[in-house]
Amino acid sequence: MDVLFGGLVDAIRLLLSGDEDSWSIIALTLRVSLTATAIALLMGLPLGALVALGRLPGRRILLAAANTGMGMPPVVVGLFVTVLLWRSGPLGGLGLLYTPTAMIIAQAAIATPIVVALVAAALQQVDPDFRVQMQALGATPIRALAALLGEARLPLLAAAMAAFGAVVSEVGAAQMVGGNLAGQTRVLTTAAVLATSRGEFSLAIAFGMILLLIAFGVNLTLTLIQQRPAVPR
Amino acid sequence: MSSQSAGIGCRDLRVHADGRELLNVPELHVASGRTLAVLGPNGAGKSTLLRALGLLSSHRVSGQILLDGRPATRSMMRHAIGAVLQRPILRRGTVAANVISGLRFRGVSRREAHIRARPWIEALGIEPLAGRDARSLSIGEAQRVSLTRALAAGPRVLLLDEPFSGLDSTTRADLLADLRAALTGQPTATILVTHDRQEALALAEDTALLIDGRIRQHGPTAEVLDHPDDAGTARLLGYTNLLPPALTGRTHTLVARPEHTHLVLDLPAADPTLAPPLDPPLDPSDHIDDVRPVIGTLRRTVALGVATRVDVDTPTGPLTCLHPGDLLAAKLPPVGSEVRVRIRQARPLIRADEHHRHDKPCRT
Repeated sequence: MDVLFGGLVDAIRLLLSGDEDSWSIIALTLRVSLTATAIALLMGLPLGALVALGRLPGRRILLAAANTGMGMPPVVVGLFVTVLLWRSGPLGGLGLLYTPTAMIIAQAAIATPIVVALVAAALQQVDPDFRVQMQALGATPIRALAALLGEARLPLLAAAMAAFGAVVSEVGAAQMVGGNLAGQTRVLTTAAVLATSRGEFSLAIAFGMILLLIAFGVNLTLTLIQQRPAVPR
Repeated sequence: MSSQSAGIGCRDLRVHADGRELLNVPELHVASGRTLAVLGPNGAGKSTLLRALGLLSSHRVSGQILLDGRPATRSMMRHAIGAVLQRPILRRGTVAANVISGLRFRGVSRREAHIRARPWIEALGIEPLAGRDARSLSIGEAQRVSLTRALAAGPRVLLLDEPFSGLDSTTRADLLADLRAALTGQPTATILVTHDRQEALALAEDTALLIDGRIRQHGPTAEVLDHPDDAGTARLLGYTNLLPPALTGRTHTLVARPEHTHLVLDLPAADPTLAPPLDPPLDPSDHIDDVRPVIGTLRRTVALGVATRVDVDTPTGPLTCLHPGDLLAAKLPPVGSEVRVRIRQARPLIRADEHHRHDKPCRT
C-alpha cells in the first residue's frame, strides 16, 4: 500500500516539479503515439472504406487480414520493423533504427489494421443504400461519402480511440525499435518497465499514472466529440 | 428544348450484371407534370430501371438517359432528381435537418433551405415531428419525412422506389393521398415503381408493366390495368384464371380475375347472401365478355373471412373462384363433385404467347 501511495505522490511531484526528463518522456510519448494514430487513421480510413464499400476482389480476405492484425502482438510488429530497419536490412540505409521515427512506424503498423477493421465494420453497419439515397437527393459522390462518415461518427471515433489506446499502451515494439534511449526514445511505457526492473516501484507507478492520465485525456476529448448530441436539447 | 421532351426518358437502355441482362428498355419517356407507374413482380428489374434512369446504378449500363430531351450528365441529374427508396434512410439529427438535406446538397444556405422546405413540411403534415430525433420515428413517419425531403428539394424528376410497401394500410392510404395532392400541379416527372395496382391507380396517369426486365405494356393506367396483353401481364394484373379456347370454345385465350369467377350454385332463391353478386353495369366500350359456364371438379374450399376461395380443376387447368362473404361449406357440393363455373368480365389475350414484342416506344 505504501508503494502505491508513494507512487501517487511521486507522480504528482513529477508533474508539478517540472522535471525536464519526465516532461521530455511525456512529450515524446504523446508525439509518437498521436503521430502513429494519425498515420494509422490516414491509411486505415480509406482502406477500411474501400474494404467496406468497394467491390474489389479479395475484399473478404483483406478484411480477415485486418481482423487478424487487430490481435497482432506488438513484439511481432517490433521484430519485423527491426529487421527492416536493421543496418544490413532492406531499409537499413535510412538509419532509422532506435529513433522516434522507427517507433512511429512500428506503432502505425500496429494501429492500422485496427483502424481498417473497425472502420469497415462501422461503415458496413450503415444502410447499404445510404450513399445512393444521398446521391439521389443531389449529393456528389464525395459529399455522399462524407455524409456516410458523419453517419458512422460514433463507431469511427471508437476506432480512433482503440487505435490510440493500442499504441500508447504497447511496450514491446517501442522497446525493440526505439531501444529505450534516455532523452531520445524513452517513452512512458518503456520508462515504467525500466524503473520496475530497477526496483524503483514509485517511479514506475508514477509513469503508469501519467500514462493513464494521458490515455484518459485523449479518450475524454474523443468521447466528448463522439457523444455530442445529434439533436439539440 | 421542346415542351414535349421536358421530363426524363431513356433510349436503348440496357443494364447488365454478372454477364446477365437485367433490363432492356428501347425507349421510355415521362413528361414533366406526369406520373408513370412501373408495375412488375419481384425481381422484374423495377428498381434497376429506376436507378439506371437516375444515373445511380452500380451495374453496367448502356444506352442514353435523357433529361429534358438531352443526354443527361451526372451533374445535370444531381440537380434534377429527388428519390424515395423502399426503406426510409434518414440521417442522424432532427427531422427538420433531414428535410432540408436535399436542398443543402444543392448548395442552398441553411436559412433559405428552411424557408423553402416549410410549405412541404406543412403539405405533408409533419410540423409536429420537425424537432424530433429522426431515429425516434416510426417507419410510417420516417417514410413521410423521406418523401417530404425529396419533394422539398424541388426535383424536376421524382423517383419513388416502392415507398409504400412497408407501411400498414391506413398509413399507406393517407400517405398516398397526401402525395397525390402534393404532386398535383407540380412540374415534376414522377416515376413510381410498385407491385401494387392500387398505388398505380391512385398516383399515376400512365402505367408500364415490367416483366423480366422488359416493358410488356404501356399506356393510360386504367386501360393497362384492365387489359392484359399476354399471360405474363395477365398474372401481374390479377387475371390469374387462364381460359384456353379448348375450354371456352372461343377463338382467343381468355383471362379472368378470381373475383369474377364463381361457382354456379343451386341455392334457394331466399338466400341472396350466398348468390354471386350482380355484375356492375356494362360499359359498351369495354371488352367485357361473359363466358358460358365451364365444367370442372371441385378440389378444395378455403374460408378467407371476407371471401371464400374455391379451387376447381378443369380439363385445361385449375381455376380459382372467389366468392364474397362466408360461403357456408354445408351449402357447397362435396370435394370431388362436378361443378359449373361462371366467368364474367373475361379479357381476350392479344398475344397468347407471352414472349413478346419489346420494340414499342413508350411515351408518357
